[in-house]
Amino acid sequence: MKDTSAKNVHGKAGFKSAEPIVTLLVLAGLALFPTLVSSPYSLHLMILLFLSIIMGQSWNIVGGYAGQYSVGHAAYFGAGAYTTMLLMQQWKIAPWYGVWAGMAVAVVVALVVGSICFRLRGPYFVLASIAVAEILRLSTMNLKDLTNGAEGILATEIPPLTIAGKVITDFSTKVPFYYIGLGLVVLTIVVTFLVQHSKLGYYFQAIREDQDAAHSLGINLTFHKNIALIVSALLTSLAGSFYAIYIGFIDPPTVLGLDISVQIVLICIIGGIGTIYGPVVGSLVLVPLSEALRSNIIAEAIFATGAVSPTSGVGVFLKENLAHAHALIYGVLVVVVILFMPDGVLGFVRKLTTKRKGERS
Amino acid sequence: MIVFFQSLLSGVLIGGVYALIGIGLTIIFGVMRIINFAHGDIMMIGMYLTYNLFAMAGIDPFLSIAITIPIMFVFGALLQKLFINRVLNALPQNQILLTIGLGLIMSNTMMLIYTSDYKILSTSYSSSSVKLFGISISEPLAISFVITAAITALLYWFFLKTDTGQAIRATAQDREAAQLMGINVKRMSIIAFGLGAALAGTAGALISPTYYIFPQIGSIFTLKAFVITVLGGMGSILGATLGGVIIGVAESMGAVYISSGWKDVVVFVLFLLVLLFKPAGLLGKSRM
Repeated sequence: MKDTSAKNVHGKAGFKSAEPIVTLLVLAGLALFPTLVSSPYSLHLMILLFLSIIMGQSWNIVGGYAGQYSVGHAAYFGAGAYTTMLLMQQWKIAPWYGVWAGMAVAVVVALVVGSICFRLRGPYFVLASIAVAEILRLSTMNLKDLTNGAEGILATEIPPLTIAGKVITDFSTKVPFYYIGLGLVVLTIVVTFLVQHSKLGYYFQAIREDQDAAHSLGINLTFHKNIALIVSALLTSLAGSFYAIYIGFIDPPTVLGLDISVQIVLICIIGGIGTIYGPVVGSLVLVPLSEALRSNIIAEAIFATGAVSPTSGVGVFLKENLAHAHALIYGVLVVVVILFMPDGVLGFVRKLTTKRKGERS
Repeated sequence: MIVFFQSLLSGVLIGGVYALIGIGLTIIFGVMRIINFAHGDIMMIGMYLTYNLFAMAGIDPFLSIAITIPIMFVFGALLQKLFINRVLNALPQNQILLTIGLGLIMSNTMMLIYTSDYKILSTSYSSSSVKLFGISISEPLAISFVITAAITALLYWFFLKTDTGQAIRATAQDREAAQLMGINVKRMSIIAFGLGAALAGTAGALISPTYYIFPQIGSIFTLKAFVITVLGGMGSILGATLGGVIIGVAESMGAVYISSGWKDVVVFVLFLLVLLFKPAGLLGKSRM
């Protein structure tokens, strides 16, 4: 926590005037995207990208701004996913009500985590946050009567969304999910922006830079850390509910596993933590890469170079296994980023551009 | 009563192997102040190494540790030299993330090579047991416990009596002071990481006859290793030994008296309680 003071400065005055226009253009383009592109796969990719941004942005508030490296965010993701799914499947409660229940459960989990883990610092906090998420995962596995255990829950039918008796959408295509995802992305970015520019956000950053100094200035450490965690948990729970309804199937390892916690952190680390666009950049790097591995584009590309023939032993092996190892890219990326770009891709690019500007003037 | 002693004994036996994993983690933490999140994955590589030596050359898993230990030592030393040494002064969270990344690379590379199928290393004695006062003892567990005890004794001798061992302890106590005394701390770090990896690899070799072998097994053991070292006190070798045995017993008691599904929950709850009420661990000095 000591030597970050010089880093993470959000100075980029040159872009400021153009920023609102660019943002509006990007948003308009994204809003029109489903009318221009109808292929379900590209919509699916965009939804995955949105989901990744929402997850990263949510973690960023407690991890990036308040500096509390939670590696147990699967707890909130899973809380949202499981509550929404259970209410829908067992009690026939529509997901847009279930989402609120999911958020309530996530807040309860966050309060428990906060009361236990915020007494601890640094690596001990990381370990405690993992332990809580693991307890939740194992309990979900074992409470078979309620959660269906390791078999998971399959969404059989999503009730159509109606407002005043009029059917808005029946969720038969990916388009409604696309707009919900886009809406959530905008929501999380707005929340992050508000946090960054509020007194609360300054408190968070003061805690991140130096806990003891912040404390001596009269900032209530436990209270503000808990607020950061609750905001983050609410948004992560939304991401979890969205994932559950969109994919239509959840089980403990996919929504409560350590993998999902690590993935959430990596989105921010790779993009650049404590910045509004860090999670966006991280998602833009991670999602296409891991999808390329998953859908065997990389294997095809290797065959296309002619280095390996698709029918040879190595070729068959690559085709069969490369798809399963898409998490490899996460590992390689995080090692490269930590060793060579400790401020993330965004920080690295910024450093390059300021260097170039400095040379010119 | 016989059930109680039965689960107590099997808990102590498996706890011995856990202690080995925990000691490795605690040495690395003590010398470098880095929590190695790839520890379980290093153990997993030890398991695959043992499996291959057995499947291809027919070498008994307990004899193969003579080959596994030096290979894993070199592997750990290389990890330290190539990656960890570069982040010694970085933020603690970046150090943690680097080791998480290295762990992901290890488990996914193994998955590429061996697929995620479960592998079983079955020796002639894998499921045999000996009876002692009416308590049956699993033979592979008993052998691995004896080997663990011997290795632990050897480690104590190394740290207490040899020059290198004392230099490593000095580095752990105060890195800068050790450097001023003419100790090559970079080299001690490499030896420490090599030792930690060798111990994790040995633990992997020792449990390979009784566990399923698959690429994702690492994270379970990484978490267990944390629980053990925090319980015993970060950086304390004696604490890790004690912590390993306690966790082994807690697990086997939880499996018998609650249910096997909940035994890991027992371990994590115990972990949180220790963090809350005795964060320095049973035998550690506070490093908070």
